[in-house]
Amino acid sequence: MARLKDVIQWQTISSSPVTVGDVTVTPQSQALAVHWPFGGFVWNRPVAILVERGGPRSGERIRVVDVTRMVQLGLLGFSLVFSIAILAKSVRRKEQRA
Amino acid sequence: MSSTLDNMVQSVDKYQEQGQEWMERLLAAAQPGAVFGEAVTSGSYTIITASEIAAGGGFGFGFGGGESPASTSGETPGEKQENTGGGGGGIGGGGGSSGRPVAAIVIGPEGVRIEPVVDVTKIALAVFTTAGAMWIMLGKMRSMSRR
Repeated sequence: MARLKDVIQWQTISSSPVTVGDVTVTPQSQALAVHWPFGGFVWNRPVAILVERGGPRSGERIRVVDVTRMVQLGLLGFSLVFSIAILAKSVRRKEQRA
Repeated sequence: MSSTLDNMVQSVDKYQEQGQEWMERLLAAAQPGAVFGEAVTSGSYTIITASEIAAGGGFGFGFGGGESPASTSGETPGEKQENTGGGGGGIGGGGGSSGRPVAAIVIGPEGVRIEPVVDVTKIALAVFTTAGAMWIMLGKMRSMSRR
């Protein structure tokens, strides 16, 4: 029987660094890979870049923000909160009438 | 009959090999090179694109075989009629992949910055879907409270 680790893999991978002048940028991505005997799924997204100036000890990590995804999730959360609030209000009204 | 079985086993092996090869190609999307593009330099600026990539798929195969029943009509005693049999199989699969630009990494004289790529179409679709769902929810709640 396949272990869960072999079926689902979640890993952060560093790409090959790009050096421009005294700045070295190392992009990092996060990959979710799901394998099953006759198929699979891979989701890979950029997460951050490591910026080094002059030496490896002067590292700075800058996050890659997915604005589109954040707005989509925000709208989903807002609609969920709105639905729960409306539902709670209608239940309260029914209780007051009864 | 045994030759039919051998053929089927060979077919299964062949299908499995094809499937493994196909899976390896699919999982190449997990490499970081698929997410970050080649660095492009223009003047004093270097730009690296960053995209989100998703790929998935699956395949399956099936096979079967059988023997036709020996006919007894017109069979002379002592004569053994050979059974005729057959089999067949098939393979099928599907998959897809999608990519979406997320940001551009800009390396310039003033430093390194990340410029986000905003997908206005996706956001507009999400806004309309949310507004529609909320409108329907409000309408249902109003009609329920009238009863």
